[in-house]
Amino acid sequence: MTLVGLDLDYVACVVLFCVGLYMLVAKSNLIKKVLGLNVMETAVFAFIVTSGMIDGGQEPIVVAGSAPPYTSPIPHAMVLTGIVVAVSVTAVALALIAQIHAHYGTIEVDELKELP
Amino acid sequence: MRVFALALVLVVAATMVIGIAGLPPHGDPDGPVHTHVGARYLEQGVAETGLRNLVTAVLLVYRGFDTFLEVVVIFTALVAVLALPSATRQPPPSRDESAAASRRDTDDAVPVSPVVFLVVRLLAPFIAVFALASLYRGHVTPGGGFQSAAIIGAMMIALGLVFGREHAARLVPHGAKAWLQALGPLVFAVVALVGWRLTGAFLGFPADEAAHALREALVVILEVAIAVGGAVILAQLFMALDAPS
Repeated sequence: MTLVGLDLDYVACVVLFCVGLYMLVAKSNLIKKVLGLNVMETAVFAFIVTSGMIDGGQEPIVVAGSAPPYTSPIPHAMVLTGIVVAVSVTAVALALIAQIHAHYGTIEVDELKELP
Repeated sequence: MRVFALALVLVVAATMVIGIAGLPPHGDPDGPVHTHVGARYLEQGVAETGLRNLVTAVLLVYRGFDTFLEVVVIFTALVAVLALPSATRQPPPSRDESAAASRRDTDDAVPVSPVVFLVVRLLAPFIAVFALASLYRGHVTPGGGFQSAAIIGAMMIALGLVFGREHAARLVPHGAKAWLQALGPLVFAVVALVGWRLTGAFLGFPADEAAHALREALVVILEVAIAVGGAVILAQLFMALDAPS
């Protein structure tokens, strides 16, 4: 399905990415920044998986009753790797935010800037 | 800040729209993603790896290095989180009395609603069975080690939320905890060395027909290690960030 010559699936990924980017830049709460980063990551994963799809394709599992065309397995494997990295980044970021909260009592960037 | 963010978003969106306008049509069988190495994996994958789930074949056999380092990345994340001094041990410096009071209120454990308690308790065994099925049937249905790890990890986190973290911590044997956390990287290294011994290539899998059973055994060992190690790491990450004990 296309929208003025652009694939709607890709447009959806761009919109999701921009929502995440806005959260990351505009929000001053560190947790919301991490949420924005995760939304951006989700957009990238959706984009990569979407690019591997094929019209009328099946999942790339070769068993009795399955037939070509299969969707490409490489984007799936890459995204699986990406998800694990995203989880790792989120975990470390949240741990650091917990440290910031313990030391300064706030996780708002504008309040942190005013601290002596 | 808002204006700057909006301007940045607009510039990035415009750039990406120009980018996607130049991409090959979505779902086109002749697109580059379906014609180069991907096509070869689909044609030869089953014969070369003996795995029916080609995502697993790409993940563990063709791109085993990726997956090895991926397991190392999440293990490193756990090490980093555990290396930080426990944020919950020393109370945050109270700037005024009301802030301290409100903090004391939120620190008190919120009683779990009986509905949540019952649902989690009823569903936990089924979630565990689902994780095992996803692991066991991973070669013929969508699923595998990482998916299973995510499901088991989520179950342990849900149990920890409802029953308290002390109870959930007992799901992982205390003496084996350090080994289980490092299970993924350790087993991957062992399998890689076994592959080196057998084929002369680090992380190599024996390709001949006669070694089919051995190859399958190596893959199953890897999948189980990823599932168990991953689940323990996910649960530990959550517990390390959890409220004070």
